[in-house]
Amino acid sequence: MTAPLLSVEAVSVSYGKIEAVRSVSLDILPGQIVTVIGANGAGKTTTLGGIMGILPCRGGITFQGAPLATVPVEARVASGMSLVPEKRELFVTMSVADNLILGAYRGVRGAALRTALDEVYDLFPRLRERRQQAAGTLSGGERQMLAMGRALMARPKLLMLDEPSLGLAPRIVMEIFHLITRLRSTGVSILLVEQNARAALKTADYAYVMETGEVTLQGPASELAQDPRVIESYLGVRGTTQKAEETPA
Amino acid sequence: MDFNIALFLAQDGITNGAIYALLGLSLVLVFTVTRVILVPQGEFVAYGALTVVGLEMGTIPGTAWLLLVLGAAVFVADALRAENGRQPRILMLRALTDLVLPAVLLGVCWVVAPLDLGVWVTAPLAVALVAPLGAYIYRLAFRPLAQSPVLVLLIAAVGVHLAMIGLGLVFFGAEGFRSEPFTTASLTLGPMMVSGQSLWVLGTTSVLITSLWFFFGHTITGKALRATSVNRLGARLVGIPADRSGIIAFTMAAAMGAISGVLIGPVTTVFYDTGFLIGLKGLVAAIMGGLVSYPIAAAAALAVGLIESVASFEASSFKEVIVFTTIIPVLLWQSLRSSHVEEEEE
Repeated sequence: MTAPLLSVEAVSVSYGKIEAVRSVSLDILPGQIVTVIGANGAGKTTTLGGIMGILPCRGGITFQGAPLATVPVEARVASGMSLVPEKRELFVTMSVADNLILGAYRGVRGAALRTALDEVYDLFPRLRERRQQAAGTLSGGERQMLAMGRALMARPKLLMLDEPSLGLAPRIVMEIFHLITRLRSTGVSILLVEQNARAALKTADYAYVMETGEVTLQGPASELAQDPRVIESYLGVRGTTQKAEETPA
Repeated sequence: MDFNIALFLAQDGITNGAIYALLGLSLVLVFTVTRVILVPQGEFVAYGALTVVGLEMGTIPGTAWLLLVLGAAVFVADALRAENGRQPRILMLRALTDLVLPAVLLGVCWVVAPLDLGVWVTAPLAVALVAPLGAYIYRLAFRPLAQSPVLVLLIAAVGVHLAMIGLGLVFFGAEGFRSEPFTTASLTLGPMMVSGQSLWVLGTTSVLITSLWFFFGHTITGKALRATSVNRLGARLVGIPADRSGIIAFTMAAAMGAISGVLIGPVTTVFYDTGFLIGLKGLVAAIMGGLVSYPIAAAAALAVGLIESVASFEASSFKEVIVFTTIIPVLLWQSLRSSHVEEEEE
């Protein structure tokens, strides 16, 4: 069996006394798209924060076989991990081009930097049009594209996407998921955290379901998409599950 | 006030304003990158000016010894602090910046001081002695507090200011000094006589501000500093070490303070505590720029210089009061404006 690119073993993350994530384990193989689905507040974003080193966590995380416990965020970026956070965290007063160039801060310079820029512009032609514009003036979809483009400038081996479809129009969401599939062909592994379970399961190879801070289900994405519990909680005819919960019996 | 006096006051005001601009820009830089309001900014000015005087008198200035002690302290503190701080490669690098650099500078002072080589040697040496102090002070006093609220950082800054004032008294004594001028030449422009030193101040400031503009707009390190000030988390996520940004910002601030000191040394009698008042005027300018805007801070600094020079002619005993009072309407306007923004956000 291939050694996993990222291996997370029994990781717990706490905010003060409250344990938001309890003993979560997951593996990502090279070139794989892995998704973590779950409701709002299930601990998905917190798990990503722990993996990236933004939040202090207990348990074992190894990337390319090396333990990450004492490795600061900046060094994790240098070793090939990139996180596109839910809030994008762009440099809003700076131009689109500058945002992208800074994405390669730990990486290439000179001619290689221009090549990397061109590759990102080819993936997101909209960014090329807007390259001199301040990032703060972009639309929601363009901001998501810029955040992904900035992360790709570092040429990551593992790209972690936190809710890339959040707050975007359905057409843009389709575009983003299409792009995630295209990225796989470039060899980058992807950890995709999503509330949009339908799209996520369709795109991913392997999936984990998180509920109240724990992994409750896992398996190949195509199998999980058939699992009655997943269908009932996350895929059920769109809207009806939520309506049934909201309407008192 | 006739036209000639107005011209003279304007010249004086613009010269002082240029110095305040350098300090104001340093304060904006340090605040946006590290959230520290750099109260001791003025001390770098006094240290810069008095280090030149010390070298001119043929002595090894106290700043050289301070650099050596602080460097060693920072080296030890870092080795004890970080888990990965004891890797041989990192230790070697740190030994270079924290132990070898101060020792070399001390050696240069020891050789150069008795030779009386003039301002072209003493001025750059003084800047070289004071600039690394900024980095050491950041690493010793502010980095361990990096996650603290702005108020805690401000209190630490006041602590550093008091310590530096005290050390300044120990190193340079209670007397005031003037250093040798860069040039004794002067220029007659119509009715106005412009001193060579004023031209040096204006020229150096212009060159520094242009370099800053280039640095922030066109270099990856400058862009990384801007990115850190715009979005700290975003900066970490692209791999910009918050640490390094802080060190660069503090070193630049200390260097600009020292350069200001070297420039005003020949025209102002500098005491060990003179820097504080000069730094405060830079702070007034920085606050007028909301502590974030470089161009507004620079323009405000010129205004502060002009107001000060007119006030010193018209009502000299109220000079400082008038300068510092200008901050009240600015704060009022800013508080009105910022509450308006919040309403918009809601």
